[in-house]
Amino acid sequence: MIDTLMLIDDENLFHLVFEDACSLLDMALSIEALDSSDEADKKFKEWFPDDPDHERPDCVFVDLNIIGSSFDGIEMIRKINYDYGDGVVIGIISSSQDEFEIEKAKKVGAQFWIIKSDDIEPRLEEFKEDYEGYKNKTAPFKIYK
Amino acid sequence: MIEVTEHTRNVLLDVAKKKKIYVEGSFLKLLKAPKGDKEFEEYLKVCKEKDITARRKRLEVTKQVQSQNKELEAAAKENDRINKQLSKSLEETERAMEDARNAEREAMIAKAEAEKLRDDAMEDLDTLQKRTQFELIGKIVKFALYIIAGVGILTTTLFGWTLMTGQENPILESTWSNLFGILLTNSFSIIGTIMGVKYATEGKGN
Repeated sequence: MIDTLMLIDDENLFHLVFEDACSLLDMALSIEALDSSDEADKKFKEWFPDDPDHERPDCVFVDLNIIGSSFDGIEMIRKINYDYGDGVVIGIISSSQDEFEIEKAKKVGAQFWIIKSDDIEPRLEEFKEDYEGYKNKTAPFKIYK
Repeated sequence: MIEVTEHTRNVLLDVAKKKKIYVEGSFLKLLKAPKGDKEFEEYLKVCKEKDITARRKRLEVTKQVQSQNKELEAAAKENDRINKQLSKSLEETERAMEDARNAEREAMIAKAEAEKLRDDAMEDLDTLQKRTQFELIGKIVKFALYIIAGVGILTTTLFGWTLMTGQENPILESTWSNLFGILLTNSFSIIGTIMGVKYATEGKGN
């Protein structure tokens, strides 16, 4: 089970869906849902300088297009991986299947891409099974359709 | 994991029995029953079942709301698209109406110009006809004057010749007298007509 999981998504209803789905799947002990990348950036910025490992979540799910934020999910992943220590399992959760965006995400270090849909549980369950591989950096990039 | 103390265990069981309140949420995942405590194990199992049922219900409702939300968003987008299309059509109609109004204005101007040209042409034609008539009349009058003058000269010559030769010719005398009278009268009549026509034409031209 993942200890702490963070979701960055502008859709508040999806926060509830995600939290309940994760809880039903016994996927994470605690979930923090944020609705903007600026907020997440602020948190990571606070955590990083003093202790890169302190408080940060084990796994981060980032929406591709976060409405109302200064930057999108791909930039968020780049910042976390390159500016704030690269200490988390991180990937995209989006309804988009744009090949170009997927390639961009891979380049900045995203480890997975989960297609958001009404039936999210099977994908999260599959992800849960692969999680250890992502944590050990042994699992290749995967798209959960 | 947290192993609860006996006091906490008793309190939790008591609250569940009397008030039907159970531990729920992520905290439940951290609680562990003391070894061999079947009653508390059962309690935790019930708590988890209740939590899962509640979450499943909430998940279903949330998904329904999410789905309805998406439909509403799609409908709003469609409305927006139709509104934009309507606005565009309205703009195009207004533009077409403006074009039609301009075309009508231009047609009216063209019509007025055509009417003016027609009137000018009619006037020119009228003038031309009058000039032709006047020239024809002039020729006729000239021809008539030549005849009058010719006949006058001829009869006068013949009459003069009879006078000079001393011959008496009453037929020639009366003919000259009648003819001269008739011709003088008619010539003044013709001159009067010419002057009248000329005066009328000049007056209209002005």
